[in-house]
Amino acid sequence: MMMNASVKKGILGLALVIPSFLILFFVVIVPIVYAIRESLIDENGSGFGLANYIRLFTEPTMRKNIIYTLNVTIVSTLLSLVISYSLAVYLRFGHGWVVKWINRLYFIPMFVPGVIATYGLITMYGNHGWLSRLLLLIGIDTFPKIIYDYNGLVLANLWFNIPFATMLLSSALAAVPNSVIESARDAGANIGQLFFRFVLPLSYKTMWVAITFIFMGVIGSFTAPFLIGANSPQVLGVAMQQVFSNYQETHTASAMAVLMFLLCSVMGYFYIRTMGKEG
Amino acid sequence: MKWYVQALGKRKVVEFLLLIVFVVFFLGPLLNLLILAVSGKWQYPAALPQSWSLQWWQFVLSQDDVLQSISLSFLIATVVTVCSIIVCVPAAYAFARISFPLSKWFLFSFLLTHAFPKMGLYVSIAVLFYKFGLMNTFVGIVLIHMVNTLMYMTWIPASAFRSVHQAQEESARDVGAGPLRVFWKITFPMAFPGIMVASIFTFLASLDEAQGTLLVGIPDFKTMPIIMYSIIADYPNTTGAVFSVILTLPTVILLVAARKFVSADVLSGGFQVK
Repeated sequence: MMMNASVKKGILGLALVIPSFLILFFVVIVPIVYAIRESLIDENGSGFGLANYIRLFTEPTMRKNIIYTLNVTIVSTLLSLVISYSLAVYLRFGHGWVVKWINRLYFIPMFVPGVIATYGLITMYGNHGWLSRLLLLIGIDTFPKIIYDYNGLVLANLWFNIPFATMLLSSALAAVPNSVIESARDAGANIGQLFFRFVLPLSYKTMWVAITFIFMGVIGSFTAPFLIGANSPQVLGVAMQQVFSNYQETHTASAMAVLMFLLCSVMGYFYIRTMGKEG
Repeated sequence: MKWYVQALGKRKVVEFLLLIVFVVFFLGPLLNLLILAVSGKWQYPAALPQSWSLQWWQFVLSQDDVLQSISLSFLIATVVTVCSIIVCVPAAYAFARISFPLSKWFLFSFLLTHAFPKMGLYVSIAVLFYKFGLMNTFVGIVLIHMVNTLMYMTWIPASAFRSVHQAQEESARDVGAGPLRVFWKITFPMAFPGIMVASIFTFLASLDEAQGTLLVGIPDFKTMPIIMYSIIADYPNTTGAVFSVILTLPTVILLVAARKFVSADVLSGGFQVK
């Protein structure tokens, strides 16, 4: 039997993709399906149902954790995005040695191991940490509580996510032609108009990429909140680990994981939809 | 004219402040660890150590489990990187150049590695590994590390392959080069920066991975980050700082060595799937 060229190509494509997909299937897809199944088994009895999920939303501490996680995630995502956008615009349209240096340095945090960065943040911002000592030099002797608090968590998220988002946005802004901006400026557009009329539409897609990956990274994060977060309320990543290892409630822990997965899936849906559009 | 000079001056001051804030915020914590690692005595409220010393380096480097963890971590990271390249780069090429059924579907499925919370995923993987006898095995560790690397290793090279101009490949083919020769002489060299960056990401992600290793590798596989957790908990600050510097060193060396490949465009192309 003769195969035509496109069928042959299709088979070759599939053959090249299958090995990596098999690993993905074994270490990601099967475990996800397993976790979803676990989450539907009632912690206190037998039988399938939504009992674990109902408990997540009715138990006061759990509800507080969920709201707290959403709060940290949304605030961190928006702050990272605003700061990264400003930084990327500055790096794209500014000149001089400051731009050059920031351009060289902003990659570093992306490659620093998470545990190390978190540890550095603790020694820097902790009670009697380096920053409080440096501020003492210029006569400031009151220092807010940052580590083991909401602020510290948001701070750590900014540290981890701003470089990544700045990188994405800079690369998108590199594609904005100088002539567009110059002619708009000649026509008398101010910075706000320039941003919303030209810069934002041309980098809109990339912005969604940044939002999606920051959101997914922050909502399920464990290392930073585990080391610098407050004891209560906790973010879901830490709460889930404790429910699992301290109370051995696997079904509840799975339900928490699936809940986070559902929230990420919403972001993932928008991401795929944005990517699917041409242009 | 005077207004212009004043405005320029103000602008320079603002820019300088921006650089200070940037450096303090992003590099301050790392610099702090570096100073802490070579300090002898550093008590509040001194802004710099009262005495300098390398005694904790001696202590850390004389611990057997520390040295073992370093070689183990490098071995695992190397194996993970090689396996990821072998498995993912062909897939990346297929995504970029071959149209086959469900290709978009396969491509986006790698997003799942980042969409499900890691901790939950690792717990489920541990259950699965238990059934297959992969707990506390080298293969198990490599597989759990690959959870983090599959997406980078597929998406970034795919974007790199996509950015190679097909016209160049075609003209090579026109002068009589076979498909394999075209791949090795034209396509691969041009996509090399993307593959390189993805490999660095993979290597560092494996070196950095702690939670999965902790769940699956107990009790025999003590990698660097796992030793780091116990050092943070059990020893004085300086020890943690020394170990942080040791753990960050490979990152710095790799980044300096590969700095001409690491660019915003190569990396961010990988996250914008087309």
